[in-house]
Amino acid sequence: MPAAAQARFLDPQVLARIDDLELLARTVVEGFVGGLHRAPHVGHSVDFAEHRPYMPGDDVRRIDWRLYARTDRYHVKQFEADSNANFLVLLDRSRSMQFSSHGVSKLDYGRYLAACLTHLARRQRDRVGLVTFDADVVDFVPPSAKHREAVLHALARLTAGGPGELAQPLSKVAEASRRRGIFVLISDLYEDPDAALRAVRQLAHRGSDVIVFQLLDPAEVRFPDDAATSYEDLETGERMPVVPDYVREQYRALVAEHVAALGRRFGDSRIDSLMIETTTPLDQALFHYLVRRQRFDRVR
Amino acid sequence: MRFLAPAFLLGVLALAVPVLIHLAHRERRETKAFPSLMFLRRVPHRSVRRRRIRQWLLLSLRCAALALLAVAFAQPVIESANPVRAAAGGATARVVLVDRSYSMGYRDRWPRALSAARAVLDEARPGDKTGVVFFGETAQAATPLTEDRAVLEAALGDATLGWGGTRFAPALKLGMRLVEESGLPRRQIVLVSDFQSRALDGLDEVQLPAGTELRPVDLSQRTTQNRGITDVTLQRVYEGGRERVAVAARIARQGEPAGSAVPVTLELGGHEVDHRSVDLADQGAVTVRFDPVPFPQAPQQALVRLAADDLPQDDVFRFVLAPGQDVSVLIVGRDGGRTAESLFLRRALAIGDRPRFDVREQLRSGLRAQDLAGASVVLLNDAAWPGGANGQALQAFVSRGGGVVAALGANTSPAAWAASGSGVLGGGRDAGAVVDRGADSGGTLAFLDYGHPVFELFRRPRSGDFASARFLRYRRLPAQGEASVLARFDDGGPALVEHRIGAGRVLVWSSSLDTLWNDFPLQPVFLPFLHRLVVHAAGYVERPAWRQVGDVLELPALAKGRWVGLEPLAERGLRGGNGRFVTLDSAGFYELRPSEGEGAGASLTVAVNVDPAESDLRAADPEEVKGGLSRSASAASAGVPRGADPEEPHRDGWRFLLFTALAVLAVETALSNRLSEAVR
Repeated sequence: MPAAAQARFLDPQVLARIDDLELLARTVVEGFVGGLHRAPHVGHSVDFAEHRPYMPGDDVRRIDWRLYARTDRYHVKQFEADSNANFLVLLDRSRSMQFSSHGVSKLDYGRYLAACLTHLARRQRDRVGLVTFDADVVDFVPPSAKHREAVLHALARLTAGGPGELAQPLSKVAEASRRRGIFVLISDLYEDPDAALRAVRQLAHRGSDVIVFQLLDPAEVRFPDDAATSYEDLETGERMPVVPDYVREQYRALVAEHVAALGRRFGDSRIDSLMIETTTPLDQALFHYLVRRQRFDRVR
Repeated sequence: MRFLAPAFLLGVLALAVPVLIHLAHRERRETKAFPSLMFLRRVPHRSVRRRRIRQWLLLSLRCAALALLAVAFAQPVIESANPVRAAAGGATARVVLVDRSYSMGYRDRWPRALSAARAVLDEARPGDKTGVVFFGETAQAATPLTEDRAVLEAALGDATLGWGGTRFAPALKLGMRLVEESGLPRRQIVLVSDFQSRALDGLDEVQLPAGTELRPVDLSQRTTQNRGITDVTLQRVYEGGRERVAVAARIARQGEPAGSAVPVTLELGGHEVDHRSVDLADQGAVTVRFDPVPFPQAPQQALVRLAADDLPQDDVFRFVLAPGQDVSVLIVGRDGGRTAESLFLRRALAIGDRPRFDVREQLRSGLRAQDLAGASVVLLNDAAWPGGANGQALQAFVSRGGGVVAALGANTSPAAWAASGSGVLGGGRDAGAVVDRGADSGGTLAFLDYGHPVFELFRRPRSGDFASARFLRYRRLPAQGEASVLARFDDGGPALVEHRIGAGRVLVWSSSLDTLWNDFPLQPVFLPFLHRLVVHAAGYVERPAWRQVGDVLELPALAKGRWVGLEPLAERGLRGGNGRFVTLDSAGFYELRPSEGEGAGASLTVAVNVDPAESDLRAADPEEVKGGLSRSASAASAGVPRGADPEEPHRDGWRFLLFTALAVLAVETALSNRLSEAVR
């Protein structure tokens, strides 16, 4: 598939026309992976990679006796890396995620991203699971090698809920997760940076890796409206008269400061975070995940 | 400064629009959903709740542009600072145009017109100047613009009703000139008239200057009744060898049906000779025919009289009955010829009564000088000019005003013409030589002088086909300095030549007037051509039985003395450098006679009638007249550049204001765009 065509499939606006999440995820991931330089992480896996001469210290169980019979030399089988780690996507379904200024809401973008990441993780033999939450946990698909379809199904029927909160649902997830794994949090993070950090840090306490994707609509970042009108908070219902021309600059500064504060706090706690606008192609998020995933393997 | 269209100043109210837009758009009623107000809450409260006007410069520019546009459309006129005009203040130059056409004689219109004019005089304030103009077909200023009330009153007191029609255009032009020349700042023209529809003819050419007010005073009645004689026809009939005339009068009714039976009488010489009764109740117009009456021996006054109604001027139609003016034609045939050779001439001249041709025939050899007496035209039909004393008598006949038509044929040899000494054929070598066109199926007439009275009748298309005639033979006529070639053949040779000798004329037709040399007599155009030829040679001029008010009568030239006017010209005398022109400005009979030395029998009687179109009393809407003049004035002021008169009020200020407004809007747009980009 040409690179241009692959990129086209990563465009959220184009993906919004695909109803089947599995097809969407496969299309995106295969197209994305096909465009990468192959750099496999060799390790224990069921997929054969290559032979290498036996060296003292190697497990004798891994000697290929058939090859020894043909060549009279000891060779050891090597396989594609297979972490068998838990991969859990935590998707924020609070009402604020419903906002959209250009056709693809944050919730839709989060679903696409979650589906793609699930597909990518499953491709690497990880056990995949899903948590959706607003003020509490709503859906929970525990990580399993067989739960890819369950995750996609849960994502497909996902709708926006009520007001959101991080602390309680993430606390519950942390308690329920006994194994080390990879947590991907997808949320707009309308929380105080310190509160958000406290909530997210619960997930990383057992050596798990946490990747945070902060989804924001372009309108939330730039505040382009120019008509003075009354603004209503999607989660609380609160209304406020706003003259965009006058508040725009201050608003932009506050949002930038918030994103930067989150980035600083997560970074200090060795938590990867990335702010993504919903107009950004999905490959940026996928690439970020892959880089993080390799690091996870190295440190294991 | 004043404004030509002050209503546009209401546009200044549009200054409130930008402010209203600001207020209306300050906060929309609909609510916009937003993910979180977390950050908006942190913006200082007062700046979110209230939006102050921050771009005062933009608001000022927008208001200024709107104000400039409003003032520009109001068309400001800046008056000159001329001290003379300033001293005049609000003085008004006022001209009263009083319609004195004869339709103003309907019922009490004329007294009302004078009363209305006097009422206008009453409006004059100190410093105002007023003038009076009477008009009909033309306009005359009865007084100059003056403050003297007595002069104006005297002019109105001396005013009499006229006999002419109505036209507004000359009166308005004169009125405008008078008020323009006054130099006063305010100008007003008061038009007192019955506003007949026909008076509007030519009004498109009149342009009322800006600043001049036209005030119509309408004297027309909503319903009118009028009947009048619009035309009279005189049909000559010959009964028992005596000429008689049958008079028919056309009577038309305007407006509502008036009465049942209306008596109509025919009067000759002041005596009633016949009468009829017409009923106009069911139809708009009828024709009344009187029994034929014998023509009088001398011209006699006659009239058709209709019972008088509210407009009596059109109830009498005058005309002059004069005995028939026959054209006496003497056809002179060749020696030894037969009368059948003049068959086509006799037959053609026997037809027609306007004029009637009295034809006699004579052979050339038998022609005597006394035969010329009483003849108007001598027609030499293939006969050479008589020689000797007869030829000299014919020469003298022509010199006195008689006419000769010579048709050249086989017997009119060059030698015979040369012997006559008439000089008509000239002395060229080929003069009179026969041109034989038999080889090429004959020649045709290729050139006709349609400007000449002989051919003028055939000027219009399909009025006579001369090209179909074929000329197998004709004689060559030499070109002579004094002669006029009226027609030529297709080879360039003259076909008809006119010579002026003394007061008379000789017309030479270079082919025969029978079918020996051509087939021209067989063509339909032959008869009218021969009539025109003979009538022109005779110098016959038909005298109209009547004329119309406003015509200028040209009197016949007198060999001795001059014309003297009788009634109604006795008091006025005759106009013109030589007393030969009379302006017929009233209806009636005009009597003129030559001064001493001429016989009393040579007197001239002219009947003059009013223009029947003026008796149509249908009125136009005065506001329509006023509106039409205003439109033409505004069109003229928009399209015609004004001169650089320093005293002329400055009316072009609106252009400057308009351009300034556009410039301000351009600056506002640029500034607004820049500020908008800066905000984003």
